[in-house]
Amino acid sequence: MKNKKKKIINYSKARKDYLKKIRKDKVIVLFGQLAIFAIFIGLWELLAFTGVLDPFFFSSPSRIVTTIIDLAKGGNLWIHIWTSLYETLIGFALATVIGVVIAIILWWSEKLRRMMEPYLIILNSLPKIALGPMIIFWVGSGTGATIVMCILICVVLTIISMLNAFISCDSDKLLLMKSMHANKFQILFKLILPNSLPQFISVLKINVGMSWVGTIMGEYLSSKAGLGYLINYGSQILKLDIVMASITLLCILAAGMYFLVSPLEKRYKK
Amino acid sequence: MDNLLEFKNVSYFYQTKENEVKALENVDFSVKEKQFTSLVGPSGCGKTTILSLTCGLLNCSSGEILINGEKVKKHDDRIGYMFQRDHLFEWRTIWQNIILGLEIQKKHKDEKSLAFAESLLKKYDLYPFKNKKPRQLSGGMRQRVALIRTLVLNPALLLLDEPFSALDFQTRLKVCDDVYEIIKSENKTALLVTHDISEALSMSDKIIVLSKRPAHVKEIYEINFEGASPLAKREDKDFGKYFEMIWRNLV
Repeated sequence: MKNKKKKIINYSKARKDYLKKIRKDKVIVLFGQLAIFAIFIGLWELLAFTGVLDPFFFSSPSRIVTTIIDLAKGGNLWIHIWTSLYETLIGFALATVIGVVIAIILWWSEKLRRMMEPYLIILNSLPKIALGPMIIFWVGSGTGATIVMCILICVVLTIISMLNAFISCDSDKLLLMKSMHANKFQILFKLILPNSLPQFISVLKINVGMSWVGTIMGEYLSSKAGLGYLINYGSQILKLDIVMASITLLCILAAGMYFLVSPLEKRYKK
Repeated sequence: MDNLLEFKNVSYFYQTKENEVKALENVDFSVKEKQFTSLVGPSGCGKTTILSLTCGLLNCSSGEILINGEKVKKHDDRIGYMFQRDHLFEWRTIWQNIILGLEIQKKHKDEKSLAFAESLLKKYDLYPFKNKKPRQLSGGMRQRVALIRTLVLNPALLLLDEPFSALDFQTRLKVCDDVYEIIKSENKTALLVTHDISEALSMSDKIIVLSKRPAHVKEIYEINFEGASPLAKREDKDFGKYFEMIWRNLV
């Protein structure tokens, strides 16, 4: 603590001004972020209250809060949140593991990689939702179908991103490993995998968003619980408050998962 | 002094989709033990190919390459390779980078090898940085770490592939001195590939000038400048004369 005080005293005016400016900018940005949120919510509430926006179609922040409280009181809300959350987490984890394993296999064999390339491109451009009916036939409706949809959406992207990371490793680094007589396993574990860690973290960040897309799509298709189901149900019985409340909860969950993943990046950069 | 490395009429072809390319044609030279030899030649003439052939990453199309009189093998323990850039692994500490080769060759639990690695770190003033990450070191220090990483495996012959070309001029002169001192004090034989004539002149006992592709040996110069370090050798009265001779041979 003493040390810190001493340092501050020794700072030149220019340095103090510079640090002050950084702090000031940070406060301005944070304030701006909060202001945008407050203005958006306030304006929405005001327009709904004055009748400019019809609350039946657009709901309102207060109605969303009331709906969430009502749903929570009914006890079912937790089931819906939990269902969506575990479908997403399982889909996310399985897609990441399967994607990385397939990427490793394709990195291992150049011939196999070349054989698979056109199929990967086709699979990547295919809208996975089109497979929805088939998934229900294969694994039945409900949680299984949702997890499969989630995996399908994340896995191809994971394979392509990780494979790109693996094969773009500096050729001189590979040569270095070979000059030390490393075998392919050693090259994989001591060079390729650790070297691809930054891309892996960015894949995780992308997969957080994509796995939620998969879950909601899966639940739209066939489900008896989950936030996607709740959105569908709300729209069918024309209770758009339920739809908006579910979307709000989704935003909070997805953001929460993203903030759980993003510290990994900071940890890696240390 | 005996010949450590011998190239006997070595030719090398490689295949491209369009045609067969002749990279080397009857390359013939030798490197004596503890000698510092440089290969200079126009860019793209096949200097790096010679290094890849020497360490067994490529096989020659004809002729033979001998180390200590024996044919070079694919995984030859007698050879160490140092690259243009240091290629330190950022996720490993300096110590972990240095013992990378030992780990690969499963010698990282061998106390003698570890003690040798530690002695090299101490000798070349890198011991205090043992637990630091590569990005915390200067360009020159990183290149020293890269050299120690190679030396830890105790190779008889060091192949240096333009190891200073990624450094700025001032750092380059300093690192040149450092690397030279380390190689000489460890009694190593070195084969340096460079396109920088003054660098070759300041470090080498022998310079082999290669022709453009397909490369063959155009001229061999035995160098004997006064001075203990590459920087001091640059002051030798014949430095300019040799520089001009080699330059004329290259163009």
